[in-house]
Amino acid sequence: MLYRRAGIFHTSYASDRALFTIPFEKWAMVALLAFALVAPFVLSSLAITSYVRPWLIWTAAVLGLNLILGWAGQFHFGYAAIMGMGAYASVHAARNGVPWEIAVTLGGLTASVIGVVFAFAALRVKGLYLALSTLAMQFVMDWVISHVPAISGGVSATLQAPPMKLLGHAITSEAGTYYVVLAWTLLVMLFMLNLRRTALGRALVAVREKDFAAAVIGVQSFYYKLVAFAASAFIGGVSGAMLVFGFYHAVTPEQFAVNVSIELLAMVIVGGLGSIIGSFFGAAFILLLPGQMNALIAWLAKLLGLDIGVEALAHIPHMIYGATIIIVLLIEPMGLGKLYGNVRNYLLVWPFGYVRK
Amino acid sequence: MDRMYFLELAINGGLAGLMYAMVAMGIVLIYKSSSVPNLAQGALTMLGAYVVLGFSDALGVPMWVAIPLAMVTMFCVGVVIERVALRRLAGRPIVMILMMTLGIDIFLRATTMTIWGGSGRPMRLGIPDSPLFLGSLLLNRAYVVGAAVTLVLFVTFMLFFRSRQGVVLRAIADDYTASWSVGISVERGVALSWALSAVVATAAGVLWGSVQTVDQSLSLLLLKGITVAVLGGMDSLGGAVLAGALLGILENVASGYLDPLLGGGTRELVVAAVLILTIMIRPHGLFGRHDIERI
Amino acid sequence: MSSAPTAGPILSLNNVEVIYDRVALAIKGVSIDVPQGGMVALLGANGAGKSTTLKAISGLLKPERGEVTRGELRFMGCDIDALMPQQRVQLGIVQVLEGRRVFEHLTPDENLLAASAVAKSSRAEMTRMRDRVYGYFPRLKERRTAQSGFLSGGEQQMLAIGRALMTNPKLLMLDEPSLGLAPFLVAEIFDIVQKINRQEGLSVLLVEQNALAALEVVSHGYLMENGRIVMHDSAGAMKQNPDIQEFYLGGSEGKDFHEIKHYSRRKRWLS
Repeated sequence: MLYRRAGIFHTSYASDRALFTIPFEKWAMVALLAFALVAPFVLSSLAITSYVRPWLIWTAAVLGLNLILGWAGQFHFGYAAIMGMGAYASVHAARNGVPWEIAVTLGGLTASVIGVVFAFAALRVKGLYLALSTLAMQFVMDWVISHVPAISGGVSATLQAPPMKLLGHAITSEAGTYYVVLAWTLLVMLFMLNLRRTALGRALVAVREKDFAAAVIGVQSFYYKLVAFAASAFIGGVSGAMLVFGFYHAVTPEQFAVNVSIELLAMVIVGGLGSIIGSFFGAAFILLLPGQMNALIAWLAKLLGLDIGVEALAHIPHMIYGATIIIVLLIEPMGLGKLYGNVRNYLLVWPFGYVRK
Repeated sequence: MDRMYFLELAINGGLAGLMYAMVAMGIVLIYKSSSVPNLAQGALTMLGAYVVLGFSDALGVPMWVAIPLAMVTMFCVGVVIERVALRRLAGRPIVMILMMTLGIDIFLRATTMTIWGGSGRPMRLGIPDSPLFLGSLLLNRAYVVGAAVTLVLFVTFMLFFRSRQGVVLRAIADDYTASWSVGISVERGVALSWALSAVVATAAGVLWGSVQTVDQSLSLLLLKGITVAVLGGMDSLGGAVLAGALLGILENVASGYLDPLLGGGTRELVVAAVLILTIMIRPHGLFGRHDIERI
Repeated sequence: MSSAPTAGPILSLNNVEVIYDRVALAIKGVSIDVPQGGMVALLGANGAGKSTTLKAISGLLKPERGEVTRGELRFMGCDIDALMPQQRVQLGIVQVLEGRRVFEHLTPDENLLAASAVAKSSRAEMTRMRDRVYGYFPRLKERRTAQSGFLSGGEQQMLAIGRALMTNPKLLMLDEPSLGLAPFLVAEIFDIVQKINRQEGLSVLLVEQNALAALEVVSHGYLMENGRIVMHDSAGAMKQNPDIQEFYLGGSEGKDFHEIKHYSRRKRWLS
């Protein structure tokens, strides 16, 4: 059969440690990649700009947050602030003539440095207190960004972002920005997929499970926590920059406020802690569901002749958003990624269901 | 002149701070019994205020009937939340529990807004608007009432925790398995603490609603409540009261002097700074138990 | 196996099997009878399954993801398998957990008060029961207002037993009460438990690794190895049994440790 582990024999370490060992999955990935490459010519322009592009960028951000939350097991309730720092830094750099690629990298590095400086102090505590201190950091960054005109250009000001430029050529077409965003997301995804088979990944898992036990076997847990914070902040910073250059085209403080941090957390939880494919699912779910449900409810209301006030309608997406978090956590706390994993495991041994535990 | 200004800021801040402590007490109640940091406390506060308004406006019931009715309703809401949402997650990693409470917070806030609409409504408690005079200092009368209620609640809880049911709740907080082994129903105890916390939230909602109109911003009390709870110690009611007063004074005094310099918004900054400093210097707060992590 | 001719055993396990996490078999084919008013020991080395047996009786398996998959648990003739832990305590089964597990931030008085909730006793009854507990454990009474977490090991063990007594039990189950205690304290506590058993007719099921101390106070015992009951006899007979003497009672003068170990591994118990 197609979707089987049976019949796959590895004759070298390299093939044993490949990312996708089952041929079906390998070909599925290739097909997805091919589709992603031709997407701008297949899907409508609206779909690309309003749905696929933000989905990809947010997935990259969610992957970054998953690195710190799912893999290293450290709380981060202020990821939007990290993204904001990267966004503002890169926009300022680009506006001041720095080549675009360097500006974006600079954004990532700025976020990384500030994130590490903060982590140095915050990582003295764990659990709830770490969560609260990152939340406090989010508030402080919110205040700093909106109250320091040098950064934000004044309170509630909007900074226009210059267009993307690769090697000096401006990229303004939708397809162009789409490809840049796709490249970034694929890069992050490859990084996360490979994490499993690197020493860094194993160290992070050890730190997550029991950090003092990890220290006993020689894994310096503080160092690795810092590394995780730095790496995840870099990814967040660049993703924030991507968000501004590739989607919003301008940057305001509201884009990276506290509620965005909560949204990112929701994406991670709904998708599944530490799950890579879950990051894709989670981002899609949280981005798209409330809007679609809103349309559905409005249509239902019209059908039934009910008159739901505009005000009430404005709050329904939030209701659904909150209900989604609650329901997902109740049904499958490990998120959509686990649900996918369950289906996959089922299909891998079908029809011999008793082979699974 | 300056000294009077400082004293006025300090006292009014302290009174407001005691009202923050009411929100914090709700958080501490739940944390004490189930180790769950309830990030939905702000939403519960807001919901409590709206339920009171619902009884008094919609049913035309006078305030002194509406408030107890609302408290009973919120008691049941607390029980339902614990039973439906939190019980399944017992024992799971805390990030999921935190997210669940956040999800409940978002859901409750949006549902409240959907039902009652976003415009602010007044909470008429019959407290006259005229300020109280302490010598030549101006005191906000509503704050004085609020602070008094907080202290009454605090004393009530201290007495409660000496009673048998209260000791049972404290036992549950210490050791679930040992509680089961002597026949204590841990589930009922946790549900009771959630219910009590919802009632406290209603009181806080009513009092804060009378000071600032009843609207969405009531749920923002969460941040202040959490800061007070952390500063006082997540499982100390007395700590919450003291920390509340402290934070209130700090916040009011600092923003009174710093706002003109920095252009506003320093209140939130002070609260965030207190939170960060507490966590850095003394994470278990002023009176919290120093939990030893068992290896 | 009943000591009183008219009454059946107060506790009767029949072929009980417990599995953890749906995969790990902990105990199998365990059948135990505790006679009314009797004192019975359940002995065995570390990991034999003794605690699991107790938890199956008191209903505390669920927090550890264990379940009774086979067999019967009968208390005073009724099947208790479907009952929740609180209900079993109300019926009269109480377990003193391994490692004491007192309520650390409460005083001994408050510990006892918390445990009296299940019996729904009035204030006067509660005071009477508490005084009775302090009568058995005078040393505990001296420390009644200290924080229980700061009591010594022996005092905590006394508090744990006293707390269990507050639930007005008919069957007291003790999980390794001698753990971490000095020998003279162990003797003192065992004496008190024996006194409680004789004066009040309270049935006792004693789980112990310290076979020497346990066999001094009980009427008969069960021996568990690898999750199965391998021997059941009166206390006197068990003390005389040469194999038990070698494996559990330290009576191996002159024999090489490896010899005994190999022998005990290959031993097929006949009971």
